[in-house]
Amino acid sequence: MSGKPKAQSRMKRDKKDEESSGNLYAHLDKTSVLQEARAFNETPINARKCSLILTKLLYIIQQGESIGRTEATEAFFAVTKLWQSKDANLRRLVYLVVKELSNISDDVIIVTSSLTKDMTGREDVYRPASIRALCRITDTGMLQTIERYMKQAIVDRNGSVSSAAIVSSTHLMKKSSEVVRRWANEVQEAVSSDNHMVQYHALGLLYHIRCNDRLAVNKLVQKFSKNSLRSPYAVCYLIRIAARCLVEDDQPDSSMFTFIESSLRHKSEMVVYEAASAIVSLPHTTSAELQPAIAVLQLFCSSPKAALRFAAVRTLNKVAMAHPTAVMSCNVDLEKLITDSNRSIATLAITTLLKTGAESSVERLMQQISGFVNEISDEFKIVVVDAIRSLCSRYPRKHAVMMPFLAKMLRNDGSFEYKKAIVETIIAIIEENPDAKTAGLAHLCEFIEDCEHDNLSTRVLHLLGREAPKTPNPSSYIRFIYNRVILESTKVRAAAVTALAKFGAQCVDLRKSIQVLLRRCLLDSDDEVRDRATFYLKMLTEAGESVIHNFILDGLQISPSGLERAVLDYLKSGNYSAPFDLRIVPVSTQALSQPEKLEPYAAQLAAIPEIAKLGPVFKSGTRIALTESIAEYTVHLIKHTFANAIVLQFECKNTMNDQLLLDVSVELEDPESEWQPSGSIEIPKLPYGEAQSAYTILEFPESGAISGSLGAILKFKVMDVDPTSGEPDSEDTYDQTYVLEEVEIAVSDSIQAVSKSSFASAWEALGEDSAREETFQLSTVDTIPEAVKKIAEILGLSPCERSDRVGEGKTQHTVLLSGIFRGGYDVLSKATVAIDPSDNSINMNIIIRSTEPLVSDLVISAVV
Amino acid sequence: MGIFSALSGIFGIGKKQVNIIVVGLDNSGKSTFLNHLRPVDQRSSQIVPTVGFSMSNFSTGNLTFNAFDMAGQGKYRSMWESYYGTSQALIFVVDSADRMRIPLARDEFWMIMDHKDIANRPIPIMVLANKMDETDAMSASEISVSLGLDVIRGRHWSIQATCATSGVGLDKALEWLSVEVQRFLDSRKT
Repeated sequence: MSGKPKAQSRMKRDKKDEESSGNLYAHLDKTSVLQEARAFNETPINARKCSLILTKLLYIIQQGESIGRTEATEAFFAVTKLWQSKDANLRRLVYLVVKELSNISDDVIIVTSSLTKDMTGREDVYRPASIRALCRITDTGMLQTIERYMKQAIVDRNGSVSSAAIVSSTHLMKKSSEVVRRWANEVQEAVSSDNHMVQYHALGLLYHIRCNDRLAVNKLVQKFSKNSLRSPYAVCYLIRIAARCLVEDDQPDSSMFTFIESSLRHKSEMVVYEAASAIVSLPHTTSAELQPAIAVLQLFCSSPKAALRFAAVRTLNKVAMAHPTAVMSCNVDLEKLITDSNRSIATLAITTLLKTGAESSVERLMQQISGFVNEISDEFKIVVVDAIRSLCSRYPRKHAVMMPFLAKMLRNDGSFEYKKAIVETIIAIIEENPDAKTAGLAHLCEFIEDCEHDNLSTRVLHLLGREAPKTPNPSSYIRFIYNRVILESTKVRAAAVTALAKFGAQCVDLRKSIQVLLRRCLLDSDDEVRDRATFYLKMLTEAGESVIHNFILDGLQISPSGLERAVLDYLKSGNYSAPFDLRIVPVSTQALSQPEKLEPYAAQLAAIPEIAKLGPVFKSGTRIALTESIAEYTVHLIKHTFANAIVLQFECKNTMNDQLLLDVSVELEDPESEWQPSGSIEIPKLPYGEAQSAYTILEFPESGAISGSLGAILKFKVMDVDPTSGEPDSEDTYDQTYVLEEVEIAVSDSIQAVSKSSFASAWEALGEDSAREETFQLSTVDTIPEAVKKIAEILGLSPCERSDRVGEGKTQHTVLLSGIFRGGYDVLSKATVAIDPSDNSINMNIIIRSTEPLVSDLVISAVV
Repeated sequence: MGIFSALSGIFGIGKKQVNIIVVGLDNSGKSTFLNHLRPVDQRSSQIVPTVGFSMSNFSTGNLTFNAFDMAGQGKYRSMWESYYGTSQALIFVVDSADRMRIPLARDEFWMIMDHKDIANRPIPIMVLANKMDETDAMSASEISVSLGLDVIRGRHWSIQATCATSGVGLDKALEWLSVEVQRFLDSRKT
């Protein structure tokens, strides 16, 4: 007994040590910890010492230290020796370490038997933890061996054992769902457990097992909504499942909604809140359905519990935009929360009111929030900024109040996310509201004067380069931009040079001054900045207006891999008498800075000699089905446009397991005999289940037609085969045909949509010569937005400068469209759509300009 | 670990703990052997193939054995070697009735003998010629010859005919083992 006081005094001393040295684990070295792990190999085991080492090991893993495979394996095998100790705390640490090492060490399955023994043993402390560790180290192949134990554990009487088994099974679902599905009966039994936690976890797993089968999920909800679950957690989960069913189903079951609604009267507040939150988040709810849920939330707003108030006001805030009228009924309660001592609640209340409140109350609320905006966390500041953003789009006239407020917030300290939200909001306001442009740009200029985030600085500089030259007084911005060239990091300096060049390109009267500034940049310490400055200077001094426009304002709109291929072909051809023509390079709608989308067909096409000689692909269309998806043979069409030809790729799939198709080809028939196939490639052999492609090459007709509709017939020979082996029954074949849907070739196949960042100057650069104008009445559409969308679709052009957004209630709208015609000709179009007040019909006037008059003719003919 | 065992550990009056490793081909009876050494109420009625290893404890005289019962299936045999270095004795279990795989057992046995963690440490080796009750079983001397035990030099070894299901021969084997382990530990001290 003399050991007891001694142990106590030792504990005290240890405690003192820990306090004096601060964090015991602060300066751990990976190598020394792994070295210490050798102590695990000693006999007998010093449990106290080993526990400390294990804790250190866990700590360095948690800190993200990477441990090599051999080191980890060595440590792991040392840890396995700790099984000989009977110390409970040590053993539980061992389970944790096994879990952590399971991914980085080899041969982790060696502890399978030991863990199985622990999980079926009598020590209740060991059982849940060993189940968790076991499931982590087990792979699909080994799962069979522990299946029996898992089934037993799921229905174990001990709640923590059962829960551990169920939660581990949920994780196993990701790797080996098939095996876990077989445990459904046991899981079902666990759902009827008395233990709240077990019931909740079991319901979750049961849902995961069945979530792919909509009917089964419906049944599940119906079954458990009737015999009421005891656990409030489980009820909450059931509400979520029901809500998901309601959202996903086209014809939702009304009993689901009844269940959620009845949960509003549950005795647990958690369930009541969950139900209310589910109802208000559902789409397409009527006001009668919403009413009880909103009433509940309103009640929670005045609850003495801060958590409930927070939950209620947060939910109201989230749905404020979807159901403004419903949320407005809570305004009185929200007003009370403005002065709540909990700043998070107050912020949410104010932002909710900002979203729903009347225009007149905006000033008062803004004043209120500016009183404590410094006291709330960045996360909530972002909520405030979002509220201001939506407010500005609703009440554009209020920007005068908002802008100074945002500017003030921008000046305060804050994280990157927070600053980003503000900058984005200001940019959004500038883009939506021309009146706010001058003020907004001025604030942003001030911001970049003192901004530590390079990303935001470059973004603002880009915006300045685009928008500021169009303001009445562009020269006032140049000082701000040039300051960046002197003061900032490389990235920002380069962006500033580009912005300056854009000023020079768009404002002719400033060009001289810009040249002076750019000349100074030639001596910059970084080569990227010098390169940009040299390039822009050369352009601005010597090049013509259209070249300046193309290379400074728009940049290259080509696909990098396409450029690489084209240059390679040029070099291989050996014929350097003609200069390399950039127009043959396929264009890309994406900015160069974005990762390039893989072109899945380019390599496939290049492998076929007949097609490769047509040159690079100009554009590949989307996959269009030419058959029903359940047909015996399915055919998809992909159109590839080349400079002078169009290649139709027919992707055929044989779904008949008793047939082998031979010599599969598609025969095309043009009723107007404009289009003649100049070549075709058939599929020699198409076995069951495989998809292969046949190709037909059509050259663009002499007549200049660029559209047409062709009848298509799939022709092939059938050989009967044995469904199981795939071996032919006999050598006999017979011809068969299969009628496909018509192949449409439209003008949009010849045009790649590429948007211009500054439409007006590009429009001027093209000149009047190639302009073609046409006016007609649209009979198939009823509204202006629909007409705008349709015209862009028919022409295959991309809308510029956000002109595709139509203001509400407008009777006239002009949409600016641009693109590139195959062969590299720019095509621009201005289409003015107007509603005729006399008979509400839609009229459209369209002007097309292009670098080549012939192209204008072709495009305009497509519309008519 | 209770307070008494902690105390006895400090004063050195408790039983000395030693690690032993139990190896052998699959289905030779390793887990059954260790199962038989447990108290009657803790025995499991059903022995399943071990995956990796499993721990069990038993004591004789003044020694407590921590036995690492290693899996015998081919794919796990490479893991045995991680435990050689920390063991103070090795038990090799042979299925005497499995004449077909005696050469394989011999290969595995000599692989162990030649491993650096065994070859350099004169730990005692106990070979159990198990499943003696089977009608077709080979005798201990036959197995001794087949495994080539007679050419072992420089270490103490013994072979014992056993039946792990009934426990015949186990006591004798453990008696020998505890004497030899004690001798091995003493020889290291001096």
